[in-house]
Amino acid sequence: MSAPVNALGYLVTRSLVNGLLSRLRRLRQPKYLLGAILGAAYFYFYFGRLLGGSRMPWGTGGGPASPHGPEIGAAILFVATIVLSWILPASRAAIGFTEAEIAFLFPAPISRRTLVIMRLVKSQAALLLFSAFMTLISGRFHLGSEAWLRVGGWWVIMNTLNMHRLGASFALQRLRERGMADGKRRVFVVLAIVAFAVLVEFMRRRLPTPPDLTAALSGRGNVMDYLVQVLHTGPLRQVLAPFKLIVAPNFAHDAATFLRALLPALGIMALHFIWVVRADVSFEDASIEAAKKRAAFLAARGRGELRARGKSDKARTPLWRLRPTGFAPLAFVWKSLLKSGGRRTLGRWAAFFAVLASGAFALGRVDRLTHPLIVTAFVIGGGCYIALLVSFVMIGQHSAAQLRQGIAAMDLLKTYPIPGWQIALGELAGPVLLGSLMQWCSLCIGLMLLSIAPPLHSHLGIIAAIGGGIALLLPTFNLSTAILPCAGALLFPGWFRPQENAGPGLENTGMKLILGTAQLLAVVVAMIPVAFFGAVAWFAFGKITALTEWRALVAGGTAMLILAMEAGLGIAWLGSLYDNFDVSSEP
Amino acid sequence: MIAVEGLTKLYGDITAVSDLTFTVEPGKVMGLVGPNGAGKTTALRCMSGIIPTTHGRIEIEGSDLRDDPLAAKKLLSFFPDEPRLFDYLTVRQHLEFTARLYQVRDAVARSRELLDALEMSDKADALPAELSRGMKQKVALACGFLHQPRAMFFDEPLTGLDPLAIRRTKDLIAQKARDGAAIIISSHLLHLLEEVCSHVLILKRGKKIAHGTLDEIRAEHREGGRESTLEEIFIRLVGEDAGK
Repeated sequence: MSAPVNALGYLVTRSLVNGLLSRLRRLRQPKYLLGAILGAAYFYFYFGRLLGGSRMPWGTGGGPASPHGPEIGAAILFVATIVLSWILPASRAAIGFTEAEIAFLFPAPISRRTLVIMRLVKSQAALLLFSAFMTLISGRFHLGSEAWLRVGGWWVIMNTLNMHRLGASFALQRLRERGMADGKRRVFVVLAIVAFAVLVEFMRRRLPTPPDLTAALSGRGNVMDYLVQVLHTGPLRQVLAPFKLIVAPNFAHDAATFLRALLPALGIMALHFIWVVRADVSFEDASIEAAKKRAAFLAARGRGELRARGKSDKARTPLWRLRPTGFAPLAFVWKSLLKSGGRRTLGRWAAFFAVLASGAFALGRVDRLTHPLIVTAFVIGGGCYIALLVSFVMIGQHSAAQLRQGIAAMDLLKTYPIPGWQIALGELAGPVLLGSLMQWCSLCIGLMLLSIAPPLHSHLGIIAAIGGGIALLLPTFNLSTAILPCAGALLFPGWFRPQENAGPGLENTGMKLILGTAQLLAVVVAMIPVAFFGAVAWFAFGKITALTEWRALVAGGTAMLILAMEAGLGIAWLGSLYDNFDVSSEP
Repeated sequence: MIAVEGLTKLYGDITAVSDLTFTVEPGKVMGLVGPNGAGKTTALRCMSGIIPTTHGRIEIEGSDLRDDPLAAKKLLSFFPDEPRLFDYLTVRQHLEFTARLYQVRDAVARSRELLDALEMSDKADALPAELSRGMKQKVALACGFLHQPRAMFFDEPLTGLDPLAIRRTKDLIAQKARDGAAIIISSHLLHLLEEVCSHVLILKRGKKIAHGTLDEIRAEHREGGRESTLEEIFIRLVGEDAGK
């Protein structure tokens, strides 16, 4: 067994060294150097304070009510993760090998058991990094040497979880091979948990009376204290005992306590190790399939797609039948809508928005709204506006991804007898059209729901006018924001190589920061004339009428016209970039 | 020698390979042909111990792949259709890694010989990203030949190569057969297989529909007194499955 593990050590260390050297050599290019400097600065300012002891915003500030609280909480989380690993898996047991590892290791004289050990050994680096990261974000690095005890504690937890997940998948595979269907197995596991809970409850009734729940809920006691007492005094104490043993090293404050807690935790870890390596379950077929899927996903990401197309993808019905003659960019829109799911997916979205709109309309007709209904309306209405805000980023990214795929097929696009501006318009129009339709729906439903609230109800006209003004602006705004990343991709194709920008690394983070900032600046510059002429229209029309609603609509319309002109110029510019794009410089 | 008896591979209710039996003697090259989805890759993966068989027995030079997989695997090499290399290992490091896996004692000298023979010496310190597809294929070949296997399994080894690389790969395979290795090649390039193979096995939907030496198959499937090419026989036997 030592030869394969030695070989793995050679593979990991050589890959690490060569990967680092390769990244360092890349810094000779100014764009990567600048990216690395910015990325390092970002990480320093973002995570540097955590080394000084600050916590992430979501970190808990106050101390726990009971000294056992965190330990029991961690043990419960551990139990939940383990239970899920017996319920959720629906596919065959697979081990995460890459395609290259499969090509070299599977036909080599290495036993199945050694392959499992190799995978477990290889995962150690990632688990250690994750443990250090968890210690960092919980602000524990200010504790000095105690921080390393935390890293060790996290390492034990993550390793045991990792091995349990693997062992569970092997055991489930064995059940599957013996003819037990996944659904039947899930019912069996849930029934076992319920039976166990009933048994625990039955035993608990024979024990002294538990603490007073009513007092805890009425505010006279602390709910957390109550839970801790229940979990720490009754039979649940014994149930949680092995799980508490595993998480215990993470709560040690000094080396002696840590070592005392570490021994039983390592014992449980060793038992898991024996369980996993002795399983001898066939994982090869599923591992090959999983590696293939992962490679396809990475390749799809390289092409700028969000997911890999699989065999399960079905042919989609287009929204309309495309005629062989007519305005050529419409063909790109047709293709883009088909890619977004065709009639079925878009129909589902339409139905979703129709249901929401009907609900909002019905709520608006209710004479006396109860408090919960008003809260629900506010939550859903707020959600619509959040979706609207998120969509501004998503549409730009989606359009850029579409164009990146266009660049990948540029040698084909260049053969089409149509001018570049039509290709640019066609490529962008699909995502912009879809995005704008969704934004209109969100805006409309959000307005309907928020206007239900008594404080806003009396200003319905103004709200509708502002909403109408924004709705007018949305398509042209989306088109303008989509043009910028696309122009960047055509002007600097090397900067938009998804394969190189993907993955971790200081320079990649820095490059993303540069691109994001440039895009934001460009949007701000593009909006200056829009805001100027919109404001002029607002004040000029104010001399004709005092009605705010009309002024808002005229200002919105003027802004839309200016944005449309900018978008038109942008499309013409993109078209010329398309026409002059040198395919040989394509990434 | 490669001896296969009753090889069957099931995926749930689907039969990928059904009851395959044949032997390939040392020095012989058998072409494994069939339309897409006939089970060629699955059969090759089973024979090289990458995936377990559902039923059947596979022996490499007398070592049973199920009972003594390590001994059998020491004697074989599998060459996938697409050369899959480690992103951050150089050509030389790929050979060093393979040598460690197979415990090749004279690895340094053998690596040098192989790189010279494959005209890759000047690329020894290059990473895969710097290599063309043909060169990556050569790295995969060098790694596969390093431990001097007695049984070799090639899955579509000639696809995507330029004419010169095809010629060199064919010569290499023929050379390995002359050195005494038993070889199985799967390929769709039937006219090229005719030049290299001594035997042919035609698969259709996982089942063997023809097997024998090229002469035997030609004699068996004469049409109108005229001897047919392998391509003509293949199309006649596989029928509607061809071209899928």
